[in-house]
Amino acid sequence: MRVSTHSYTDAMLGQFNSLAALQYSLQSRASTGLRVQTAADDPVAMADTLGLAAKKTANAQWSQNITTLSDRADVIYSVLQSLQSRTSRAGEIATAGATATASPGDLNNLATEVNAMIEDAVKLGNTKDPTGGNFLFGGTASGSTPFTVTRNASGDISAVAYNGNSAVNQTEISDGLTVSVDVPGVNTGSGNARGLFTDSQTGGDFLNHLISLRDNLRAGNKTAVTADSLNLKQDENNVAYQVANNGVVQNRLTTAAAYLADHSAALDKSIANKSGADLAETLVSLNRAQNGYQAALSSSVKVMQLSILNYIQ
Amino acid sequence: MQTQMTAVQVTGQNIANVNTPGYSRQRADMTEALATPTANGLVGSGTQVVRIQQLVSELMNNQIQSQNSDLGFQQGRQTALQSAQDALSEILSNGPNGTGSSGLSSQLTDLFSAFQAVATSPNSTAARQSLIGAAQTLTASFNQVGGKLVDLKSGLNTSLNNDVDSANKYLSQIAGLNARIADAEVSGGTANDLRDQRGLALENLGKLVNFSTSTDTKGQISVSIGGQALVSGRQLADTLKTYDAGGGQMLVQTATGGVNLTLAGGTMQGTIDARDNELASLQSKLDSLASNLISAVNTVHSGGFSPSGTTGANFFTGTSAATISVNSALANNPSLIQASGSAAASGDNSVALQLAQLASAAQAGLGGDRFGNFYGAAVAKIGTALNNANTQVENQQAVGEMLSTQRGAISGVNIDEEMSNMLMFQRSYAASAELLKTVDQMIQTTLAMKQ
Repeated sequence: MRVSTHSYTDAMLGQFNSLAALQYSLQSRASTGLRVQTAADDPVAMADTLGLAAKKTANAQWSQNITTLSDRADVIYSVLQSLQSRTSRAGEIATAGATATASPGDLNNLATEVNAMIEDAVKLGNTKDPTGGNFLFGGTASGSTPFTVTRNASGDISAVAYNGNSAVNQTEISDGLTVSVDVPGVNTGSGNARGLFTDSQTGGDFLNHLISLRDNLRAGNKTAVTADSLNLKQDENNVAYQVANNGVVQNRLTTAAAYLADHSAALDKSIANKSGADLAETLVSLNRAQNGYQAALSSSVKVMQLSILNYIQ
Repeated sequence: MQTQMTAVQVTGQNIANVNTPGYSRQRADMTEALATPTANGLVGSGTQVVRIQQLVSELMNNQIQSQNSDLGFQQGRQTALQSAQDALSEILSNGPNGTGSSGLSSQLTDLFSAFQAVATSPNSTAARQSLIGAAQTLTASFNQVGGKLVDLKSGLNTSLNNDVDSANKYLSQIAGLNARIADAEVSGGTANDLRDQRGLALENLGKLVNFSTSTDTKGQISVSIGGQALVSGRQLADTLKTYDAGGGQMLVQTATGGVNLTLAGGTMQGTIDARDNELASLQSKLDSLASNLISAVNTVHSGGFSPSGTTGANFFTGTSAATISVNSALANNPSLIQASGSAAASGDNSVALQLAQLASAAQAGLGGDRFGNFYGAAVAKIGTALNNANTQVENQQAVGEMLSTQRGAISGVNIDEEMSNMLMFQRSYAASAELLKTVDQMIQTTLAMKQ
């Protein structure tokens, strides 16, 4: 075929541009590690990557939720442990107070210990979340102090009022999966989570049972102390349930955190498969493109240099 | 000798125009001069140039004009779609948290994550402030992308106007060149250079718009676009202008006749096509996404309660991507965010949780899609259109290069060939001169016989 002089340069420029564009694309892939950077590179992979990245971001938030909940669950657990030792001790006191050999002096000493225990229990009931600053056992009415007390002329707590509610917040820890670590201080209804101090389902009413025990010890009413002992057993069981439930929730959080970590790693892998560049393949392709570019430049110069003019004397 | 000299002049013209766009090589067509009758019979009287022929292929020219329209159409679409993709700013990059984008997609996810954070710590001032920040970043991006798309549409209309101006310039050139060609060729011969110029004008017009032509007996080319005659012989019958078809959709019609044209190719139609299809669809989807987000979030949020018990406030204001904004009262005082489901429970998170869970909720207004999926599909649609346009442009350019090479094989100048011809004509000239010299010597010899 007859080839015009201009066709050489046009074709060469076209080839240079094409090879330069290929090198640019491959160099960009090698330097970013990404095969897909814009939607036009691979529309389906781009849409998939955006979706996968969104899931990964959601996973990160759920992991953060789990961290927050775990911290709160840890604080609640420490309160539960303190409370558990007190319910146990209160039961021991009631048993000791109900024995026939207990003297009025003994009963009075025991009442003094129970009175201190009441003060401690109220303080525990008003524990705040160290991170959020909210009361842990006020239900969702966490803005106000859950337990307020009424004191008698001697300054002892004669009654405790609960200002919170029995609701607890659910928090999402995975797609559509919610969990609650919160424990309301009181639940006199039949639904929601069990109340920590007062719970109608288990018959627990620790603060009032302690007040009753203290007052009965002071009054030397051993029959009533015996009845208090049975009531305190219910409180001990209730707190034991809360400790166990806390453990179950913490276990769920740990399991969910592990799942999210695994899922995020899998998402990273999927994202890399969708939009990541195979570095070895990219570098081989880049090397090939560079060789092609060099060959095009070299051959072009040689062709351009040659003309019949070189041979006309 | 004159014949060879003319041939050398034509060669010189070819060499001089080797790089001139639109130039078609010429050739001095020679023929044997009429023989002179003598007593011994007819004796040849040398050679003569009968015409300077331009080597062109009308078939190739027509194919290139048509291909230019196809290429122009795809390039018009490519430019518009590339700008639309740029406006979205969805570019993947590797950050500390892995691969992600910094566009609306990630900001949408960040908003729902911020709702999650408030749901986890409903009374946390930091979480509420962070939510306002995430929402403001998202709304700013919506506004920015929406504004860019409006600007892009306006820019495409301006580009269409510029193309119409250029097309009118070429139409005027073609009519003028028709007149000059007809005048020049009326006394015989071919106005090669003028025809080259007209051919170039037709090619340039073809990049802008598809047209049909007819050639009359005087060699004048008439041009019609969408069935409307715009160049009729030497007359510029009409020109083009843009008109507003409603809603800022600029289209093209004849300037004098006022006939609305249906264009079939070229950058003008490519621009219109991308503007009225993919770009309009993207704008609509973005507005739909924004309005559904506003509606869904406000419906849930307005039913909630702030820690102080206030209720009924919307989280977002506005109705579209361009107007979406965070309620200024909430932005100024994040404690007014209504995360609680009860006026009496300031620590309740049920509304915040519902807001967070909107991320994975199917939206009836979005055809049952989730917010993120709907947006991802819109991004993919633009990407697919641009990817297709890129491929089409590459294909059309390859076809163009092939056609150009084929035409070059017929009309293009080859320096080596011209130099060979020049040597050939030079030698013929020298030989003719040598012949003249010999004849002269013979005449001198004859004259010397009398002395």
